[in-house]
Amino acid sequence: MSEKLHAFIQQMTQVKLHLNPGEQLVSLIQSTFELEAAAIYDADMQKVYEAGEWFAEMENIIRNVYFFESVADDPETGMVRRVLRIGNLPVGALLLRGEMDSQTSSSLADLVAITFDRYHSHANVNRTESARQTEQMRTTVLDSLAHAYKTPLTAIRAASTGLHAMGNLTSAQIQMVQLIDEQSGVLDELTSRLLTTARLEDHDLALHKERVFILPLIEDVVAGCRAILMGRRVNICVSRESLSICCDRDLFLALLTQYVENAGKYSTGDSPIAIRVAEDPGEIILSVHNFGPVIQPADQECVFDRFFRCADTAGRVSGTGIGLSVAKQAAQAHGGDVWLTSDATTGTTFFASFPIDPKGTSEP
Amino acid sequence: MSSAPIRVLLVDDESAIRRALRISLDELGFEAVEASRGEEALLLVRSESFDVVLLDIQMPGMGGMKTLVRLRALAPRMPILMLTVQDSEEHKVEALECGADDYITKPFSIRECIARIRSAVRRAQTPERSEDAPVQIGEVQLLPARRTVNKRGKPIHLTKKEYDILHYLMTHAGRAVTYRSLLGSVWGAEYRDEVDYLRTFVRQLRKKIEDDPSNPRYLLTDPYVGYRFTENPEGGVSGFSSISTRQDFESSS
Repeated sequence: MSEKLHAFIQQMTQVKLHLNPGEQLVSLIQSTFELEAAAIYDADMQKVYEAGEWFAEMENIIRNVYFFESVADDPETGMVRRVLRIGNLPVGALLLRGEMDSQTSSSLADLVAITFDRYHSHANVNRTESARQTEQMRTTVLDSLAHAYKTPLTAIRAASTGLHAMGNLTSAQIQMVQLIDEQSGVLDELTSRLLTTARLEDHDLALHKERVFILPLIEDVVAGCRAILMGRRVNICVSRESLSICCDRDLFLALLTQYVENAGKYSTGDSPIAIRVAEDPGEIILSVHNFGPVIQPADQECVFDRFFRCADTAGRVSGTGIGLSVAKQAAQAHGGDVWLTSDATTGTTFFASFPIDPKGTSEP
Repeated sequence: MSSAPIRVLLVDDESAIRRALRISLDELGFEAVEASRGEEALLLVRSESFDVVLLDIQMPGMGGMKTLVRLRALAPRMPILMLTVQDSEEHKVEALECGADDYITKPFSIRECIARIRSAVRRAQTPERSEDAPVQIGEVQLLPARRTVNKRGKPIHLTKKEYDILHYLMTHAGRAVTYRSLLGSVWGAEYRDEVDYLRTFVRQLRKKIEDDPSNPRYLLTDPYVGYRFTENPEGGVSGFSSISTRQDFESSS
């Protein structure tokens, strides 16, 4: 090993990995090996670092070294070209002008590549940690917000229903109390929806996938929607009892709850609701069917947009126009989709497709 | 039940909630005492007697869960109902497994709150039944001495495990039973996480005891928490985690 290479390795221990090492390494190479000029191309960041006197075309040359893997020593111009590799994978290039033997320049290229790799791993660990902390902080803030909003709503609800339960109210007073109660219910729903939406936006960071059994989840959602379903009959049909998919449970739950709540709210008379899950190659198709007001073709495109509400029903049924946009977001985050059909004869059906993760499916 | 008013200890750090509940409960024939912290609740329970405690799960200081555990140690049979919010299923499960009798999800109506209080107090005041005493709920009759279940007087054929599940749920009727405690009781502690296994049995059981298994009247699901065998199959609140405003007013006016 040349003395200069030995000196370089010793100096490399001083490189600060929390800072981009490109600038530090290129100056170190130029000074230690007493070169006229040195340049490093970091393909990951698409950046060129340089030290010494370079000509204008240098950047093109060094990029070409990386792209065309043109490794060469050119004694006439005194240029040394090396590709930086981690294993077999090219990660950048090294271009030197000055005197350096072929073996030393190859060793130098290996050392620079390893340093870049260490830097990137270090940066990735920090990125993951910072994303985790952001998510945790967000959950904490949302939990406090939920508590802050639910407290006055609980007091209002307890007071208005308490007043009603005490009795002896005139008809006008009963109507006023009823109005307070209804509107606090609307506010409660709005709060829950907004918090759910905000929570789900966390999932932009990562889908928390797990194996989810479909039938028990549907049973839970239906049981949780009893108040909205008001005794309405619900038929559940799943292709097989043990059907499971690999998905983000919270997102799937948000979609399913939204579909079932909507079916409950918009059903007419005592018509039943049907929840079906069928298996298609590579995906499951969930559908929730009810008989109720027809969603006009022009509106069918928009119902999944945030804050959109159908003009026909907006005044009659309470809602926020948020839930279905969350449902769409949930399906699309998994690579699935949402759609609907609606006409007076066959009723309204909301569909969602979710890919079956091959590792997450249960055996039939 | 005694004719003296039911004494309720209200533990919540939010004074608005305590105020609304206390005024309503007092006016409706209960006697409500307020505590703003778990520590205060423990002092009160040491010096006075209460028929039931409404305990907020999320409080500063000692917090709802720790207070629950200490209250349970002080008064093993005193009903404790947790006040929780939506989307906190894991807290509900934890509270039930730490000895809470039930939970009420905020915001709730006074009707629901009172129904839960009365049901918990009634259960606590019912003398312990003997192991072999029959249990009759609606049209379903459990005869432990003969390990038999009848519906409308006709015997229903149950497997051993189905019977054990039904026995546990019917002898705990009205209470939310978590998946884990049911699994632990019927299969043993090492099976406490086999929820899917349990669900399959419950599905079979519903086919045998319910008129319409998709819309059960007896064996109800407490979403994400567990099961609850109703005390009142003709309606009422035992299976509801919340009751809609409209329903509340329609059924009472």
